[in-house]
Amino acid sequence: MERIKVRQLCFYFVAMMPVAKLLVYPATLTYQSKNDLLLSAFVNCLAEGAIVALVMLLAKKSGKSLFALLENTFGNITAKIVYGVFALFFFASALLPFMEHKNFVLQVMYENVPSIISFAPFFFVCFFACVKGFKSIGRMADISLPIFIVAFAVLILLAFPHADFAALLPLQGASAGEVLRGSLFSANWYTEAAFLLFFLGHFEYEKRASVKVIASYAIGSAAVLLFLAVFYGVFSDIAIRQQNAVAQISKYTTSFTSLGRVDYLFIFAIALVMIFRLCVPAQMCVHCLCKSFGCKPMLPAAAVNILLLALTVFFNYSFLELQTLFTQRLWFLFALFAYALPAAALLLKRRGAHE
Amino acid sequence: MNKLWTSIFLTAAAVLLLLFFSNDFGLIDIQETAIVVAIGIDTAEEGEGYDVTAQIAVPSSTGSGSAGNVTVKNAQTVGEAISELNHETGWYPTLVHCKLILLGEAVTETDVFRVLDYFLRNDAVEDSCLVAACAGTARETLQAQSPVNDISASAIAKVLSSEAQETGLVSVTILKDFAIGYYSVGKSGFLPYISVQGEAESQGGGGAAPTAEIDAAEECAWLPSLKRNRWWKPKRQPLPIAAPVSSESGSQGGADSGASGKSGSADVFQASETMLFYEGKQVALLSPEETLAYNLAATDTDFAYGSVTAEQDGQETVYNLKMKIGKKKRSLTFENGMPVFTFTVRANARLADTDRASAILEVAKTQIADDAILRAAEKKFEQELSSAISKAAAAGCDLFGIKQRLYRYRYREYAAFQDSVLTAAQVHYDIRFTSLK
Amino acid sequence: MKKLGNTCKENVAALKGILTSEDILVFAFETQDGAACAAIYADGITDKALLGEQVARPLSREKTPKTAQEAAKILQAPETKTETDPLKIADEVLAGNTALLIDGVAEAVIIGMKKLSMRAIMEPPGAIAVKGPREGFIEDLKTNMSLVRNRLRTPKLQFKTLTAGKQSKTAIAVGYLDGIADEEIVKKIVDKIECIEIDGIPDSSYVAKFLAERPNSLFKPTGTTEKPDVLAAKMLEGRVAILVDGSPIALTLPYLLVEDFQGAQDYFVSPYRASISRLLRFFGVFVSVFLPAMYVAAQLFKLQILPLSFLLTISGSVQGIPLSPSLELFFLLLVLEILIEASVRMPKYVALALSVIGALVLGDTAVKAGLVSSSAIIIMALSGISAYTVPDLVGTTSILRLAFVVVAGSIGTFGVLLMTALVLYYLVTADAYGVPLLAPFSPLIRRDLKDSLLKTSMYGLDKRPKVLQSKNKTRLRNKGGKVNHGKN
Repeated sequence: MERIKVRQLCFYFVAMMPVAKLLVYPATLTYQSKNDLLLSAFVNCLAEGAIVALVMLLAKKSGKSLFALLENTFGNITAKIVYGVFALFFFASALLPFMEHKNFVLQVMYENVPSIISFAPFFFVCFFACVKGFKSIGRMADISLPIFIVAFAVLILLAFPHADFAALLPLQGASAGEVLRGSLFSANWYTEAAFLLFFLGHFEYEKRASVKVIASYAIGSAAVLLFLAVFYGVFSDIAIRQQNAVAQISKYTTSFTSLGRVDYLFIFAIALVMIFRLCVPAQMCVHCLCKSFGCKPMLPAAAVNILLLALTVFFNYSFLELQTLFTQRLWFLFALFAYALPAAALLLKRRGAHE
Repeated sequence: MNKLWTSIFLTAAAVLLLLFFSNDFGLIDIQETAIVVAIGIDTAEEGEGYDVTAQIAVPSSTGSGSAGNVTVKNAQTVGEAISELNHETGWYPTLVHCKLILLGEAVTETDVFRVLDYFLRNDAVEDSCLVAACAGTARETLQAQSPVNDISASAIAKVLSSEAQETGLVSVTILKDFAIGYYSVGKSGFLPYISVQGEAESQGGGGAAPTAEIDAAEECAWLPSLKRNRWWKPKRQPLPIAAPVSSESGSQGGADSGASGKSGSADVFQASETMLFYEGKQVALLSPEETLAYNLAATDTDFAYGSVTAEQDGQETVYNLKMKIGKKKRSLTFENGMPVFTFTVRANARLADTDRASAILEVAKTQIADDAILRAAEKKFEQELSSAISKAAAAGCDLFGIKQRLYRYRYREYAAFQDSVLTAAQVHYDIRFTSLK
Repeated sequence: MKKLGNTCKENVAALKGILTSEDILVFAFETQDGAACAAIYADGITDKALLGEQVARPLSREKTPKTAQEAAKILQAPETKTETDPLKIADEVLAGNTALLIDGVAEAVIIGMKKLSMRAIMEPPGAIAVKGPREGFIEDLKTNMSLVRNRLRTPKLQFKTLTAGKQSKTAIAVGYLDGIADEEIVKKIVDKIECIEIDGIPDSSYVAKFLAERPNSLFKPTGTTEKPDVLAAKMLEGRVAILVDGSPIALTLPYLLVEDFQGAQDYFVSPYRASISRLLRFFGVFVSVFLPAMYVAAQLFKLQILPLSFLLTISGSVQGIPLSPSLELFFLLLVLEILIEASVRMPKYVALALSVIGALVLGDTAVKAGLVSSSAIIIMALSGISAYTVPDLVGTTSILRLAFVVVAGSIGTFGVLLMTALVLYYLVTADAYGVPLLAPFSPLIRRDLKDSLLKTSMYGLDKRPKVLQSKNKTRLRNKGGKVNHGKN
């Protein structure tokens, strides 16, 4: 149940990684970095790419899981504690994307914003996914790739004619401080390296796996940067207002055709991939809890999803405050868990005392 | 484990079926939905606030075009007017298919974003809708009857279509672009200026646009509708629906519904003038020739028809040219520390018509325009363009994006020239018309 | 149970004590030297002419054999075996064989003499082929095995014959190609069949349920086919076939969902035509499942999906309809299912009259009466017809379609997406016999994609499907053009 292939990791980075950054991230980044948003995003992509490379290097040197490495270095109890802490991190990192997605769904897929009961069934799907384990992440990546490629390509092609890339000028229109702030305050959207850390030991390192994974990450990042460029080209001075970017950029081509908003089909396809991506942090959280407590996934999956539902309802009217908290106050925690700790994993002992 | 999953699924199925059959979780029944296709905003005739007119498409089994107008008067904000629409008629207005926002002339005298930002805030309204200003009131414009029996919003949308934009005769803008202009460094924008002109009488057929005012209860023909699921919320006022079409009644069908349009005549929409805006207020109006020149030089217009007078054989002759733009470019440079704005236009022109009878050989060589005609066309184009630029500059409107170019491409000089670049920039014209030889 | 004795009379009495039915007959005769012989058989399923020719006549002309083996040599029957357990002898008699008892011999000779009235081999109605073979399986296991044997004339073709069903004692044959099929899967299937404890197995679908690793799944647990050429092709790919006596439907394992989109005819026409057909089938299933749901969701939750002119048409057509769009479509789909169910069962002589009523009920009359809208009828009809592009999945498709409509009517477009995600999560993790159900899409197996939704030419299918983990990977060695004088 817990095996994943290198090919599936690559597909994850190409197809599932970018979708998390297509909703609120562009508008939020515009707020911080204005027309230099590409620069901020590039910094984040570079940093995360470096961490991904380091984690793959660790995978190459040792075929063991993070738990085994921690156990070799610190012992079983400490390993469980670390997993427990990461479980908390994954739980926290799942909350904001859930809220974003909830807003996206309630605004884009409904005429009048219905009650949160329309979003609640998502947690059932997430619960089901959590029970299924890593294998489902890998297999969903296989399914997501063609869907994402087709949908993303169509949306970008529809948006392209209306994008004025000159709006990205002037370069350094925003100050270095603003660009840096944009990067730092986006840390919560860049947690893939932490996921990769936990995939260690669950995939077989094959020839040139590092190259493949890093190349895939680069492709995924390029897709994000392209989207940001097109997004800002389309909206420029009103970009800050476009909360659900992926649903907005392509409508200017389709609005006046007799077929109407055909781009909705592709937006729904991207939304489907988003569902798969959204479940990943919760699946990680459940995986960590199972390792910590040595139990089957059913109970932790139920607990995690019920808690997430409760928090989503609780924060239903506090999205802005939650976002400010996570992005502007707690960014260092994301940087720690998603950048620093995965990099530090290279220092763990690869061989146990008994080996 | 299987029993647990079975129980979970059965519970989920039961909940879903309950939701399905109760059908009441904020759903809007399509039969109670008013599909608003256009919104007109005027300053209140009496008192303060706005008069907001919603043109509501009337469904029919054949999907033919007819609509009803509902006006809410004296609303403090557009949002209040939309809510009032729901409250008074019992119909839920949906703005997702609103394709036109029409601003009355009086509204454009103040910052139009006092009314337009409702549409930017509202996620239900797409910012891809057309925006236009009109002569007189938007309400009267929306009441106009198109000679082809289109609803007025559709007729206006046709006039402002992308095809029309490509001919250069109208300057089309959507809410998004207008908002970008407003919020950009230039704080400028433009809207097509629509005027209604009465034409010949229509030859029968209904399709009238009846209007129902909230404070005047009119009796309207309405289809029987069976209440469904919402028996506890009876409709308060039926939606005005056009009376059945009959060849004898012609526009009389409209009268049954309280139409106040011109009886027996069709109206044609003109949109060849362009209203310029700065900081949301209208500051100038471009003539049709200036509009054409602007479109040829600065927008997506690829080809256009234009008339030019040239002397031929000692006679002043009016030539109608078909112009195909090959290249157009605007650039901002600095010479001796001063901004220079250059228009570069390359176009191919051919004769479409003249005002005198021509010899058969001339007709055969219609694709070839004489140098004199081409030079006259260049001169006229330059004149109109210059006139448009001057008008815009005098009003502070960054119509041609000079200030924006200064900000994007010459950021270092932006601080020094941001307030004066429109008037200080020297404008150079590099316009060349060619023809087949 | 006590074994057989030496005297014929005793043995006959013992067997008649077990086989008490009046259609179990005893044919008594003597050998040349006067020893009593008795042939016990079931009337109606035994070839009595053969009984006389191959059993009675030779024995009556010979001296009394001392042993059952000696007796078997005298007989002119190709299928003989000996048995001493009366219960097993009884089973053989009930299976259509004849039990020969001879005075002085403590064993019975079981002679294969089954003669059943069977239907002719004909094209199965559910798998009509414009091109290709027209044979179909029938209810007799031996005939079905012969049809397969006729297509795979290799010593590697193995059949393991098992029996299941306490009362029905149904014969089941597990067929596979030695060296091609995965032996572990064969063993697993055999073990599962041997563990079946049920009174009767009337059809192969019962066996399918026992073989299923997820018995409560909405999706089929095994592949099915009624055609020997299809079964042979699947066995050549590495699958295991299960033939059940009394059922014309053969089962295959492991099962992939994509199999149902592959028609037999795809391999007899050009690959381009085959690819188009498969894409059409996929599109058909997609339309069948999603179109009604999206129609409901768009009307109830997101009008913007519909173009304005279409929206006005729909809005006009639903004026005065008493039901909401979701209920309207739900009941229309229900009526469709009722019509389909009734058309399968109705006598042929009333089919015409009832079909007219069905057309009227759902057609113009219902619209004119204002009960349903015309657009809903079109959606329902399209959906219903599209489902039959893949007849094997019709059962699953209809249930999914109704489920999606319910979800769309209650939660909306997001509900449709969630349901899709749920179904996909289920399918991607539904491995059976070590083979993922959604292969070769998930997990992605590039080599196997050549014969999935698109089909490459015959030369492109030189390797067996990787997902079936066959030891012998190559199935096409010589791509033609060169004569191969070497070994095969």
